Amino acid sequence: MSSIGEPDVTLVDLIDRLLGGGVVVVGDITLAAADVDLVYVGLRALVSSVATAEEKGVLPELGSSL
Amino acid sequence: MRDKFLHKPPDLDLFASDLPRVEDALPGRVNADPERLERGLAQLVLTVVELLRQLMERQALRRIDGGTLSEDQVERLGQTFMELDKRMEQLRTEFGLTEEDINLHLGPLGRLL
Amino acid sequence: MIEICAITAEPPPPLPESDNLHAVCSAGLVALCTPADEQPLTPSVLWSREEMLEKLMEQCDLLPVRYGSRVEDDAAVARVLAERQGQLAEALERVRGAVEVAVRVLETDTAPSTTEPPASGTDYLRSKTRHAKVATDVHEALGRLARASTQQAGRAGSELLRAAYLVDRGAVGSFVERVAELQKAKPQLRLLCTGPWPPYSFTSG
Repeated sequence: MSSIGEPDVTLVDLIDRLLGGGVVVVGDITLAAADVDLVYVGLRALVSSVATAEEKGVLPELGSSL
Repeated sequence: MRDKFLHKPPDLDLFASDLPRVEDALPGRVNADPERLERGLAQLVLTVVELLRQLMERQALRRIDGGTLSEDQVERLGQTFMELDKRMEQLRTEFGLTEEDINLHLGPLGRLL
Repeated sequence: MIEICAITAEPPPPLPESDNLHAVCSAGLVALCTPADEQPLTPSVLWSREEMLEKLMEQCDLLPVRYGSRVEDDAAVARVLAERQGQLAEALERVRGAVEVAVRVLETDTAPSTTEPPASGTDYLRSKTRHAKVATDVHEALGRLARASTQQAGRAGSELLRAAYLVDRGAVGSFVERVAELQKAKPQLRLLCTGPWPPYSFTSG
């Protein structure tokens, strides 16, 4: 949906926002594959805890046997 | 559609390279119907790999900044990460996935990466 | 099912009939809603929603709600407003009189490394550090002109920065001027700036 010949660049920004941002209302949202989504929730928790650990500098250092 | 541009460079197509597939972008939805299951699983696996790759790279950069690594170690780390980066790109291509595809939506939890 | 499109403070703004919107009021807040429909997700559907939000934004400050946010009925909408009154009121206060501006920055002088393999592992890592520094420089420069800012985690490839800025409505012009200045000052980068958008990235604290 852009003028002929111009790449749909602003769609990237729109999708980031409308689908990835905004107020989140936890309601009856249908999820396509519940089992897989549970795994994602687990991953997100992992990422958050890693990010926090990174900030606090408590992550184990890379091994010295490089 | 409205013009949302406030400032745009002449070579605009640089910014369009990774257009996500809109139909797959709905929050919380990984396509699990049989034809797309493989792709959904590949997305999941590659996202985890990419997550780890980014984490390791950040740690390495911090170590380098901290000045505790020898030139040799820096070079070896760099080679490893270059290889990893290249391999990730190959894997994504093999499964027909873009960078956006592996930056998964988790619905209320936002994006993974 | 009811789809919630935006949240604002009472009193509700005048609603254009064409968009099938109705207002649900509770706890001093207003949720602007439409009946949920099952149309397939396409760019055109997203742009329609965006246009509707922007028209509303001309009348009042609002918090855009993520696309696809559905609840059973108006009573459920009212419950959401009541339960989250504190957070939502705070968020509305935070974005009062401001809009969101999006910025993406790419690096272009990577031509050598796209035609031949990068010189060495050390170069690869050094350039990552350099990228991070450039991204921080641009982000901080623009952040000074904004009330608040967010940035996404780094991506592989030539994208150095993907960020959002909460800018006073009247200050968008000077923000864009600054973007243009930064572009001139850094010819090896490409800066893209889009907006104004409703404050999607600033709905939670």
